[in-house]
Amino acid sequence: MLRTSLQSVRALGSRPAAAAASRQWPVSAARRAVVSGQRFYASDKKRSDETKIPASETLTAPSTPPPPPSLDTAASTTIPSKNVPLTPPSPDSVATEAADIAPPPPLPTPRKKKGFFRRLRNFFLTLTLLSALGFGGGVWYSRINDNFHDFFTEYIPYGEQAVLYLEEMDFKKRFPNVASRVAGRRPDGEQVTVPAQSGASWRVADTRETAGRQSSAVQKVAAAKEPSKKAEPVVAAQPKETKLPTAEAKAEDLQKSAPAPVAEKKRTAKKVAEKKAVEKKPVENKPVEKAPEPETALVPAATALVPTQKPFKAPEVDEPSRWPPASPIDPLAVPNAADPVVQDLVRMLNDIITVINHDGANDRYGATIGKAKGEISKVGQKIRDIKTSVEKEAAQQVRQRVDGFDQAANDLVARLEAAMSVQEQQFRREFEAEMDRLRKSYDNKVQLIQERERQLAEEKLNNQLLEQAVQLQRAFTQDIKKHVEQERDGRLGKLNELTAAVDGLEKLTASWNDVIDANLRTQQMHVAVEAVRASLEDAHHPRPFIKELVALKEIAAQDPVVDAAIASVHPSAYQRGISTPAELIDRFRRVAAEVRKASLLPDDAGVASHASSYVLSKVMFKKQGLAAGDDVESILTRTQTFLEEGDLDNAAREMNGLTGWSKTLSRDWLGEVRKVLEVRQALEVIQTEARLQSLKVE
Amino acid sequence: MADTAPSTPSRAVSRPVSEALLNEKWDRCLSNLIIKSSLGLGFGVVFSVLIFKRRAWPAFVGVGFGAGRAYEECNYSLKAAARDIRKQA
Repeated sequence: MLRTSLQSVRALGSRPAAAAASRQWPVSAARRAVVSGQRFYASDKKRSDETKIPASETLTAPSTPPPPPSLDTAASTTIPSKNVPLTPPSPDSVATEAADIAPPPPLPTPRKKKGFFRRLRNFFLTLTLLSALGFGGGVWYSRINDNFHDFFTEYIPYGEQAVLYLEEMDFKKRFPNVASRVAGRRPDGEQVTVPAQSGASWRVADTRETAGRQSSAVQKVAAAKEPSKKAEPVVAAQPKETKLPTAEAKAEDLQKSAPAPVAEKKRTAKKVAEKKAVEKKPVENKPVEKAPEPETALVPAATALVPTQKPFKAPEVDEPSRWPPASPIDPLAVPNAADPVVQDLVRMLNDIITVINHDGANDRYGATIGKAKGEISKVGQKIRDIKTSVEKEAAQQVRQRVDGFDQAANDLVARLEAAMSVQEQQFRREFEAEMDRLRKSYDNKVQLIQERERQLAEEKLNNQLLEQAVQLQRAFTQDIKKHVEQERDGRLGKLNELTAAVDGLEKLTASWNDVIDANLRTQQMHVAVEAVRASLEDAHHPRPFIKELVALKEIAAQDPVVDAAIASVHPSAYQRGISTPAELIDRFRRVAAEVRKASLLPDDAGVASHASSYVLSKVMFKKQGLAAGDDVESILTRTQTFLEEGDLDNAAREMNGLTGWSKTLSRDWLGEVRKVLEVRQALEVIQTEARLQSLKVE
Repeated sequence: MADTAPSTPSRAVSRPVSEALLNEKWDRCLSNLIIKSSLGLGFGVVFSVLIFKRRAWPAFVGVGFGAGRAYEECNYSLKAAARDIRKQA
């Protein structure tokens, strides 16, 4: 930004000093602010700077709106600007606001340029305040944004606890009942049963009865649940037992109904006593009536209790005669208790009876009630009969079904077995048929092959016979031929011998001609060689012998040995001729004089050494004969001796042993000698070749 | 030296005979010596006449220069020949 501002300033042609000043402005402003003791933080500072930069720009740029004024104003604006960023997080909590309001008081005090500790204190204060604000804001925002919640709880220390606490508080505030219920749930568990027991009952008046009834009812429920399995055997086994009490009950009913009014008071007294006793132990479910009616002991407790209550009521109400009948009815119903319909009926009747007893209308309804009891017992009986019949039928049906299923299964098995056996037989039959077919086919094949074999064998035999016949015929013809030849040879053989002899003679003569030719050739070669030799030895001075050599070559007629020998001779030798031994010796003398002059030269000789060698060689002694030694003088002496003996070969070898200047000086002479030697060698070779040719011919 | 020339008149034209190599070098050296020393003497005399009031030593100095130069050339040629020989060997 600064650069752009600078550029714009320069483009407009304003003074660069202004730009520089503008650049330094914020720094100076910040410094002044620090000096003045005002607190600045990283964010705030930047904001103040940013706000100022356009001010510097706008000084030059006409397009922008008028800038905020001078340094002092900027410094003054920094304070509100600092307060502004603090306010937005404050609405989160009142406490933070309070803390926020608190800092301003320290603001004016540090303006007095107080010491470093004050600034430090202020710094820490604001730091804690800001962090608290930020923490609160984070907690608040983490409840809004899930991502931020995760981040906050994971990375900010104590952030999770704070957020959790806040959430819990909120939850409690929103659902206070739920919270309390959740807290106190267990202790109330027992209360649930109370309203259930105090629920609907048929009793209208008696509170005592209700207590008793309730206990019995609960037990009834428990009994109904418990003996659900036991009930059936009981039902099956007890009808006889129950029938007896019904009969007795009827009898008692009749007896009691008659003397009811007489024995009223006595029984009431008794029943009161009994009732009191029962009231004392109502919780104990054991019936008091066990003594008077032992048959009820077999009956479930629920039914047993009903009769116990009715005797209690009897003394209270007018007629005791009603009470006994109520009790026998119940045992009647008990065996049928397994059937809910009968139970309901019995209960209904009991209720009616109790109502009647209560009202004191026993006399009037006694007979009808008795009838009703009888009917109910009959109904019970019928129901039992129906049940038994139905059970029997069901058993029969089940048995029939089982039998039917057994039969069906047996049939099925039998059918399956039959099918299996049939299939097996069929498979076997097919298998056998297939086997037969295969066997037949293989038999056919075998027969065919045998026939073929037999045919082949016969044909082979026939062929052999034919061959034998042919051979015999051939042998016969050969025999005939032999005989004919023998006959012919006997006469014509002699003629053949004669012609052969004539041929031999012809060959002999031909070969003889060849021999003569070869002889001629060798002779010519000899002559030619001799001519060459003569031309060499004869001359007193070198003379070319090329003509002789050409003649020799022609006569040799492509003889490889002769050709090779001629090729080995240096061309200059036969073009210019070779020097004679006398010439060679003469030249050697001159060469030897020169070589002696240079015999004492060192390796790298200059003028002085040459001169000294020249002078000293004059005074050296000369050797004679075959002197021993490798020095130049002895070599020269030996060479001279060899030359005098005519041994050119050895002389050349000796001279070849020289080195340095001596060798260079004697180079030409050596070449001459070599040429002579070459020519001599070639001539010798050709001569031997010619001799060999002549030997070959003979 | 006088003998070599008549014996091989035809060859001497094209190429010196091997035994005459050293003699030829000596001839050349001597002629060189004479020419150079006479040149030096001439220069010395001219200098002595022109500059040094006809003193004798400039002439001797000139002769010495010429002779020395000739000697050096001869030495060089001989050594070069020796080097060639060694190279051929």
